[in-house]
Amino acid sequence: MALPQTIPLLGWAWDDLLFLLLAGIMLGSAIFVVIGRDIVRSGLSMILAFAALAGIYVLAGAVIVAAAQVLIYIGAISVLILFAIMLTQTKAGPAELVFHRQAWAGALAAFGVAILLIISIINTDWPLRVAERLWSSTTDIALLLFGDALYVLALQVIAVLLTAAVVGGVFLAKREDEPDPGERQRANLDRLLPPPEAERP
Amino acid sequence: MPSILAVIEPGPPPVLPAGAIDPLLVTLLLVLPIAGFALTALIGRRLYARGWIIAVPAIVVTWLIGMFIVYQALFAGAYGPGLRFTLYEWIPAGDFRVSFNLLVDSLTAVLLIVVTTVGMLVHVYSIGYMAHDPGRWRFFAYLNLFMFSMLLLVLADNFLLLFAAWELVGLSSYLLIGFWYRRRTAALAAKKAFLVNRVGDFGFALGIMAVWTTVGTLNFAEVFEFFGPGGGVAGLEHWMVVGIALLLFTGAVGKSAQFPLHVWLPDAMEGPTPVSALIHAATMVNAGVYFVARANPIFAQAPEAMVVIAAVGIFTAILAASIAFTQRDIKRVLAYSTLSQLGYMFAALGVGAFTAAIFHLMTHGFFKGLLFLGSGSVIHAVHEEQDMNRMGALWRRIPITHWTMLVGAIAIAGIPPLAGFWSKDEILAESFLFGFYWVWAIGVVVAVMTGFYMFRLMGKTFYGKSNVDPHVEPKIHESPRSMTVPLILLAIPSALLGLAIGLPPADGVLHHWLEPVFHTATADILGREHHQFQLLGIDGVLLLIGAAAGATGVAAGIWLFGLFHRGQRTEHVESLTERLRPLYRASYAKWYFDELNDLIFVRFGGLVARAIWWFDVRVVDGAVNGIASFTQGAGRGIRTIQTGRVQNYALGIALGLLVIAVMYLFVVAR
Amino acid sequence: MSHSLEAYLILSALLFSIGTFGFLARRNAIAMLMSIELMLNAVNLAVIAFGAFTPQLQGHAALIALLVMAVAAAEATVGLAIVIAIYRNRRTALVDEFSSMRE
Repeated sequence: MALPQTIPLLGWAWDDLLFLLLAGIMLGSAIFVVIGRDIVRSGLSMILAFAALAGIYVLAGAVIVAAAQVLIYIGAISVLILFAIMLTQTKAGPAELVFHRQAWAGALAAFGVAILLIISIINTDWPLRVAERLWSSTTDIALLLFGDALYVLALQVIAVLLTAAVVGGVFLAKREDEPDPGERQRANLDRLLPPPEAERP
Repeated sequence: MPSILAVIEPGPPPVLPAGAIDPLLVTLLLVLPIAGFALTALIGRRLYARGWIIAVPAIVVTWLIGMFIVYQALFAGAYGPGLRFTLYEWIPAGDFRVSFNLLVDSLTAVLLIVVTTVGMLVHVYSIGYMAHDPGRWRFFAYLNLFMFSMLLLVLADNFLLLFAAWELVGLSSYLLIGFWYRRRTAALAAKKAFLVNRVGDFGFALGIMAVWTTVGTLNFAEVFEFFGPGGGVAGLEHWMVVGIALLLFTGAVGKSAQFPLHVWLPDAMEGPTPVSALIHAATMVNAGVYFVARANPIFAQAPEAMVVIAAVGIFTAILAASIAFTQRDIKRVLAYSTLSQLGYMFAALGVGAFTAAIFHLMTHGFFKGLLFLGSGSVIHAVHEEQDMNRMGALWRRIPITHWTMLVGAIAIAGIPPLAGFWSKDEILAESFLFGFYWVWAIGVVVAVMTGFYMFRLMGKTFYGKSNVDPHVEPKIHESPRSMTVPLILLAIPSALLGLAIGLPPADGVLHHWLEPVFHTATADILGREHHQFQLLGIDGVLLLIGAAAGATGVAAGIWLFGLFHRGQRTEHVESLTERLRPLYRASYAKWYFDELNDLIFVRFGGLVARAIWWFDVRVVDGAVNGIASFTQGAGRGIRTIQTGRVQNYALGIALGLLVIAVMYLFVVAR
Repeated sequence: MSHSLEAYLILSALLFSIGTFGFLARRNAIAMLMSIELMLNAVNLAVIAFGAFTPQLQGHAALIALLVMAVAAAEATVGLAIVIAIYRNRRTALVDEFSSMRE
């Protein structure tokens, strides 16, 4: 069965409804991320936000990016965050204060930023308007990425950055009191052999 | 009336031309005392009883050289108008050039006679007087320093050098008055002397600065030419000339203890008696008189200033004489007597009788020095007792002291033919003849008073019955020869000097010597003609009145206080005192002048000083401290921004970003 | 609505301000990092929106978004590693405890 052109009762286009829905889900879960008391629940709602965002990307015609969003954000970053949450949980649990005393000033600042941006956006005369959606093509992206001198450099730099980030992360987060193999061997050796005569008190 | 000197010397004296040796000798006059000071100061402590061994011979040699120079200047006339030479350029500072230049003319020579002679005799006297004092090496060192300063003062040929010597003399006076520094009264007296002198010196310095700004140089020769007839002084406003003269006079007021800066001289008697004799009778206090005489062209150009000088002088004379009536301390009587005689000298300067003033300076130097040294001998004899009410009947016990002091007392009272009569009479006569009748009248009254209080002193000290402390009575003895010989030596000029150089009056040897120095002032500026002495005219009358005044005072003093065997008429003295009780009390309290000074400067000045101190602490320091504490407080407040928390900083960034963006959107972009 | 650039941009602005609030207000360090991720996603959305409405920029926009995602991943890695390291030493993940750099 083919969908009617517009929504029966409201007269909106289906696209608009989808957009509104996805936007609502995204904003709602984003708000829950920042005000949620339990940090695990915050993390999970962040995943929901990312998913809604991927949907919006599809609506905008950037399918590759939507796929990358799901893979990277939900698949990698959110998992990473959830692991970190689990590693840094305190016994006290989610009972302590969620916000600073400066939260009110922060809210004011955020509100100000929002108003500022929205006013700027509304007052700008955007000369861009298309009648229909454009779908991005993978071939175009590939050509840009590997054929354009600018983006090849960016690609390499990002690669180095990611390597450095991973190595750095591993180094930063490893346990410090673990002896290296050489040290462990010597410690065992000291245990097995008796100390020399001269050192006995 | 021919001068005695003309009788003694048959012909013109041999002239030794002023060659290169004379400047050297004059320099030696300065070098010897200062070297004496330096050497005695360095090794004096180890000399013990012989602390005088360097200082006194230095001064004796100085005296010899001084006498030679005096001979050259006055008798041989080898220096012409004056021997001027420069030792070295002291201050070469662009427009302001001052050299260390010295001058020897007849005025200098006359002062040299007094300074070196009395100085030498005081040094010799001090050998005996300070024989038991453990600090005598210090005493001789200071005495030498004083001699250097005084000699520099009379030899100086420019204002700045004179001012430097002026200050040095003040310093030596301070050191010597406070010689027994462990006594609180002595230390206070020394401080008082120095401070009061400073007040005068302030005016003096202003006067010197005024001279430099108007004339452009400080050398005497050029300045006096400027102020002479036909000099640049015609271009100055008259009030400026009077102002300069008055400012320079204030220095003399301070140094010579005239009213109102007279308060230090009586207190200066805290010093040892030789000091009182040398500094406060014969030399330092004469520095003011010498200076006014030296700068006579400046003063002659300002007749108003001269009237002020005469008024101050004669008022001081009568004020001091009135205080001397009631004092009990023998040295205080002599101190007030010095003040009174100095007043005479300034009165003489004020009426334009410069030579008379210098004449009186000379005679006074000798007989006052004699009187002080004599009083020192008396004090020594009665074992450091200075209250005259506890002396008496000493004339038999200490004869040399008594007879020499009697000569001095007669001289100062103005009885002819002793020296004091001629000089005092000349002052009075010239004031009358120049039209200053009020000066003459007050001067005559003071002459009466002088005779009275001097013989009050003699009566109480030497005559009648003895009031000496019974324990001391048997031990009264005459002083050693080192003390009595100077007394005798001083008595001779006290008696004969007037006859030697002062006759005929206004035309004697001294007048011939000093005429070139004062010619500009008296003849050219003031227009006074030379007055021939007429015994049978007005001059004779004045002479008689002067002698009578002195004699009256002496007679009254003798009648009340006794002579030789007869003692004081106690009942008459007491009834007189009773009838004049308030006057007596006021006179004894120096007319409450010290209390007035205390009220104005110490009390009231203290209040002002305290108010200013409050202002300084609260307002000035408060402002500075306030800035500091404000900065501290502000810093403490602003430091709280640094919380160390990233989110606080992030909030700051966000808010700042908002502000900038709002400003851009709504203000700049409009 | 989905055909207007402004809607996407307003959405991006709102998401960004939510992220700002979370960054400034939360005490937990990991919650701060989550807010940062939200902000980065808002930027991504804006870029994609511009790309969707400008034909010649579409490929570029996609690429930029991908690069931003990669950088976000790297940053999340390092940030979380730091938080874990600090947690080991301080036993707390609350940022207001990390104030050694105060005056």
